[in-house]
Amino acid sequence: MTLEIGASGSPASPVPEAAIPVSAQAPAWRHRHLLDVDVLDWSEIELVMTTTDAMREVLARPIAKVPALRGRNVTILFYEASTRTRVSFEVAAKNLSADVVNIAAATSSVTKGESLVDTIRTVEALGAQMLVMRHAVSGAPYLAAAHFGGSVLNGGDGWHAHPTQALLDLYTMREHLPGGSVAGRKVVILGDILHSRVARSNIWSLTAAGADLWLCGPSTLLRGFDRWAAASPRIPGHGRFQVTSDLGAALAGADVVMALRIQRERMAGGLLPSLREYAARFGLTRERLAAARPDVVVMHPGPMNEGVEIAPDVATDPRSVITNQVTNGVAVRMALLYLLAGVHGEGR
Amino acid sequence: MSATSGAAGHAGETSGVGSGEPVREAAGRRAGEVVAELEITRAWLVDPAAGREGPGEIVVSNGVLEAVTWLEGAEAKGVGPDGVVVAPGFIDLHAHLREPGNEDAETIASGLSAAAHGGFTTVCLMPNSVPALDEPSVLARVRAAAIASGSPVEALAHGAVTVGRAGEQLAALGELADAGIVGFSDDGACVANPTILRNAFLYAGMLGRPIIDHPELAELTRGSEANEGYIASVLGLKGWPAAAEIAAVERDIAVLAEVLRDEPGARLHLTHLSTAGALAAVRRAKAAGLPVTCDVTPHHVGFTDEWLAGARRWAWEALDANGAARDPWLDGALTAGPYDTSLRVNPPLRGPEEAAACLAALADGTADALATDHAPHTLVDKEVEFGLAANGISGLETALGVLLAAVDAGRLTLSRAIAALTTGPAAVLAGWPGVVASGDIRALAQPRGLVEGAPADLVVFDRSDRWRVTPESLASKGKNTPLLGRELSGRVLLTVAAGRIAYEEGAAGA
Repeated sequence: MTLEIGASGSPASPVPEAAIPVSAQAPAWRHRHLLDVDVLDWSEIELVMTTTDAMREVLARPIAKVPALRGRNVTILFYEASTRTRVSFEVAAKNLSADVVNIAAATSSVTKGESLVDTIRTVEALGAQMLVMRHAVSGAPYLAAAHFGGSVLNGGDGWHAHPTQALLDLYTMREHLPGGSVAGRKVVILGDILHSRVARSNIWSLTAAGADLWLCGPSTLLRGFDRWAAASPRIPGHGRFQVTSDLGAALAGADVVMALRIQRERMAGGLLPSLREYAARFGLTRERLAAARPDVVVMHPGPMNEGVEIAPDVATDPRSVITNQVTNGVAVRMALLYLLAGVHGEGR
Repeated sequence: MSATSGAAGHAGETSGVGSGEPVREAAGRRAGEVVAELEITRAWLVDPAAGREGPGEIVVSNGVLEAVTWLEGAEAKGVGPDGVVVAPGFIDLHAHLREPGNEDAETIASGLSAAAHGGFTTVCLMPNSVPALDEPSVLARVRAAAIASGSPVEALAHGAVTVGRAGEQLAALGELADAGIVGFSDDGACVANPTILRNAFLYAGMLGRPIIDHPELAELTRGSEANEGYIASVLGLKGWPAAAEIAAVERDIAVLAEVLRDEPGARLHLTHLSTAGALAAVRRAKAAGLPVTCDVTPHHVGFTDEWLAGARRWAWEALDANGAARDPWLDGALTAGPYDTSLRVNPPLRGPEEAAACLAALADGTADALATDHAPHTLVDKEVEFGLAANGISGLETALGVLLAAVDAGRLTLSRAIAALTTGPAAVLAGWPGVVASGDIRALAQPRGLVEGAPADLVVFDRSDRWRVTPESLASKGKNTPLLGRELSGRVLLTVAAGRIAYEEGAAGA
């Protein structure tokens, strides 16, 4: 059974093919904002997954557009340069017929001379109802959420969180793993864990999903995660998660390997001797991948440095689902915008 | 209503006092007026200078502490340490009152009001004003503002070690000493260059003044946001290693030890220590007989880095039975939102084990004093992204409450808590030869005790009376404290400095 849902508060869409096939049995979404995945319980993550299924169905249509957010203003406020994520959100919002305002605030609030709180108030006064935000400072969306009357969707904050990425990663893994579940599967995240919001959000969602999660990288880019890893088995319902610099041990029998981008500025702080040395010791190559399961799923959140953290032939290997991640990213973001739009007033 | 009956009423009827919100202007008497007549009966007196506490009564007449009577036997019955307490006025070795330069965050007048509300009768102002207090003209301005405030709280000042606190050239140390500063500090920054530090020890030692160092190896903390560890890892905040403090403390002690051979007057005071390692280094230095003193802050004793994630339990509640840190994500301790910028402070809030080490140092005397590091900031500087927020916590008015929370929890004795605010800092000041020789500092004119015949300098608070920390209840312009909304025990009823009213709680019908 499917339920036809238009923009909340307005009559259901008169266009039958514009319906979004969402199960009527779905539990209610109770979050006004999505700042990280840590606040989602497993049934809510499942709701995001099934809603994403519905959005995938929409995307497969000749005209991939539904009126669910017609008349809604989605403002995309990015304080950091980004093409992939920003465009993904924009496409997602437009597919839902939202009015999209794009603000590229390429500088921090300090250098710009206007505080983040002032910007949030201004954007709201200009009609923003949903705010997609990216910021270089960890925690910035929490400040925005405290001052914004609508919903805030975190598009990445500092080293802290990137919830839509973690959810699209989970969706992509389930899509490609036999049996459609990551429970008990060995998932390896490889690279610059220390500075990665992708890794941090994935820790919450993948341990909640019961994955056997391994974080791997040079010790300079792993420090501080030991205690978190030690705590992880004690979280009820969460799987294990461990930290290692032993790439061989990490890759042995892996079901999923996700490489993370290595940034050049890591050399300046003495975190790495050189990109050459990183590629030689930690680069994801065909030879190393042979230690994983033959049907291993290869992922990367992008943008890639081919030849550094991932060899070009691995990136384009048939086992690579990197472009699927991009497509699924649009569907997951549609799902989240849709779910958040249905919530008014109370919620967290 | 006479002063006598008003204050005696506080002491005698603990249940009726302070049922409403505190009112700053006491009806009848104004801050600054000499206490004509004051009698406090059946209170718990704490006199750390005499090493004594117990039931007693005091009489103040024309600003002088006329009589201190210790009650015994039947008279003492029903008087305990859980009600009204009379103690000597508190001394803060470390406060930022922001004037000149940042009067929107605090003025000397508002800062001294906050001090009095917190029970302090002496505060040492840090020199990181704008301009820095690196020459006597700035001190003159500070003094003029203190006098103009009319507050009887004694405002002492530390001078900068280097010009503009830039760490390159010695400030006018001799002129500043002559003008009456008590110590030298580039607080806010460490004296980074060890050669400058060495020469500052020598020169300040010649003047009988200490170097008060903010120990932090800046190369280890550039861009740091939160104590390096589990919490920072989860929140994606850049780690602030404990080693940055420990290494600076060990360096300072090593340089001092060598300087002392040439200049026996050299002194080192390490401020706002936050790590077990730094306190252990101080313990070793003291055991070796080096003239090293240190302080810890209320926030490093009472709060921890898990507050950044949204926990609000006291530091000692964050340890399990084995003394290991509990996990706020696992035990439901997260009751507030994350990234509250009122928690951004330098040095950062540490883990519960480090906080326990700070408390233990207060208990065993390794930490000579509790210092507030009162650092008021405007909303503009705090209502920003966590990593961009100004460092500092407004602390003068909540220091007593935080210490009393530790006392209430059985982690510290009342007498140690009071000593850390009175005889402790007084002894630190008395260890600086030039300060003692100058002879013009009130805080040193008498031992920090309840001394008959001396000008009354005391605080009266009620441990059975809780008060709520709100923007309105704070006299400081800096409302930047994570305790907003929280109730603390030990409402201050009266602060008397040099025989004059510094603060009087006015809601009790005076």
